[in-house]
Amino acid sequence: MDKAKRYNRISAVFFLGVGIFFSLYARSVEIGTWNEPGPGFLPFWGGIVLAAMSMGLLLLTFWGRLPSITQPFFPQSDSWKRVLATFLALIAYNLMLSPLGFTLVTFLFVAFLVRFVFPQSWTRTLVVAVLSSLAARLLFVDFLETQLPRGFFGF
Amino acid sequence: MDILSHVLLGAQILFTPTNLFFCFLGVLMGTLVGVLPGLGPTAAIALLLPNTFHVPPVTAIIMLAGIYYGAMYGGSTTSILVNIPGEAASVITCLDGYQMAQKGRAGPALGIAAFGSFIAGTISVLGLMLVAPPLAKFALAFRPPEYFSLMLMGIAILIYLASGSILKALMMAVFGLLLGTIGMDAISGTQRLTFGVLELADGIGLIPAIMGLFGVAEVISNVEAEIKRELITAKVKNLLPNRQDWKESFWPIIRGSLLGFFIGILPGPAPVISAFTSYAVEKKISKHPEKFGTGTIVGVAGPEAANNSATGGAFIPLFTLGIPANSVIAILLGAFMIHGIQPGPMLISKYPDLFWGTIMSMYLGNIMLLILNLPLIGLWVKVLKVPYPILFPLILLFCLVGVFSLNYSNIEVALMIGFGIFGYLARKFQFEMAPLVLAIVIGPMMENNLRLALTISQGDPAIFVQKPISAVFIVISILLLISPLLPWLGKRRKKLQEQVEGEEV
Repeated sequence: MDKAKRYNRISAVFFLGVGIFFSLYARSVEIGTWNEPGPGFLPFWGGIVLAAMSMGLLLLTFWGRLPSITQPFFPQSDSWKRVLATFLALIAYNLMLSPLGFTLVTFLFVAFLVRFVFPQSWTRTLVVAVLSSLAARLLFVDFLETQLPRGFFGF
Repeated sequence: MDILSHVLLGAQILFTPTNLFFCFLGVLMGTLVGVLPGLGPTAAIALLLPNTFHVPPVTAIIMLAGIYYGAMYGGSTTSILVNIPGEAASVITCLDGYQMAQKGRAGPALGIAAFGSFIAGTISVLGLMLVAPPLAKFALAFRPPEYFSLMLMGIAILIYLASGSILKALMMAVFGLLLGTIGMDAISGTQRLTFGVLELADGIGLIPAIMGLFGVAEVISNVEAEIKRELITAKVKNLLPNRQDWKESFWPIIRGSLLGFFIGILPGPAPVISAFTSYAVEKKISKHPEKFGTGTIVGVAGPEAANNSATGGAFIPLFTLGIPANSVIAILLGAFMIHGIQPGPMLISKYPDLFWGTIMSMYLGNIMLLILNLPLIGLWVKVLKVPYPILFPLILLFCLVGVFSLNYSNIEVALMIGFGIFGYLARKFQFEMAPLVLAIVIGPMMENNLRLALTISQGDPAIFVQKPISAVFIVISILLLISPLLPWLGKRRKKLQEQVEGEEV
């Protein structure tokens, strides 16, 4: 199966689900009438329109012409590792921010990304991570007075 | 006389130490993000927005506007020196700018880009000053049906410009409208789809969404493979273009400025489209079209003027109608609302200090940019040398802190990461981000106007075509959406599509 077809079928099914979800949900708040549209009016009709368009996209993959996709999903065979590592680092940052505190978690975040995504030497990693976490602390906490979590170490 | 007194008012607002400082900070930040690839003006403005909460609205807007037009200046530097456009709007500058640099004429290329941008910026500010107030008066006649149809047209234009399938762009727009319904319903106060999450009661935050879709998703796409950059290492000298350069570039700059301004008024990625259009126009009317792409100064001057002037034009729908033309302006609109300023046709008459203060700051900002860009070019070249493996963690860090510091909420950060994943995947599946973002922003406004209009007409949807102004907007929207079926409109779309691919709107 050609790649564009497969991509479009996956997206069609995804948005079909989204559309159905919104219209079903809209029934639990008041949809209202054309005379007096309620809070559920737009989610309901919008959901139906999205579902209908997804069906249209699905049908097009069988009978229609859609722009083809030539480039591979990942440009390099190991791209997925870097992409995954970056996303995981972001999620970890969000989870660890409050318990560890801003300065420490920033140091770990920068060090991890610099060292493992496009591997740099340990010296470079440490210099960048130390400088950026200290600079970020000075900028955000001391200068801009942003209320960032301090964590159990208290800094 | 009237305008003169307004200009004086604007100058009075601007020439205070705080406002001057923030104007400078804005253009400096703008140039910086313009120079750095992978961090655009949209993300930069979203980042700095939380830090403007404690200053008066006019100061905040002065700085945020400075970032927008400053980024257009900075973007050209990287196009010329490294053949990597810092902003999508400078893609076209690579063609002749980089060629000029390779021939040892990087100086005049940078010089004409800066002077062209300066002239264009000034022309577009003049245009904004002259066009906005009368247009706002006209817009006073707008009622809910007109507003709804106008916003519909805005989305339709973006969909028309979407590269790839119109159906998929439409799906993105509807998805955005649906996301926009999350939160408390403004008319009845009912909570919708919030699942008890406090952060969602006000709707999905614009900033987490934009930072995710543009900041995070962009960086993630860039870490897939290492970017190789070749910097022109030779010292940049002779920044001043010579007499011959000026002779060749003068009219392209003027034409580019006018073109950019008028394209800027329309919704969509105006800086990009206008730069491409200017290049195409110059090539068509040139006596030596074969020189384009080999390093002709005209190919730098026209587009650079156009993309700068388009930023001025883009302020018109914001100041007159309260409708954002693109996602940068959408964040500015968000800034208005955060500062308690109700955008719309009343804005100029109700807050003259805001409007004229911003206008005056744009004049001055353009002068500051000229000063920043010519003598400090060496500094920007150094910034360019920071390798991406070190740069990207810092960009992500800024996104994280920027979103977190909005409301000190981990849920909003999670939302940003979620939008980042969605934006990354959606790009792979060839969906456009622009209709989605615009729909998220104006979705709630559209919904209110739709419901008010239907209430006024007692449920008769015909109201949208019975009112003449609204009918015009509806007809244009329909024409744009069925354009693939109309040969002459469809062909124009194909051309435009090739131009705006990959743009951050």
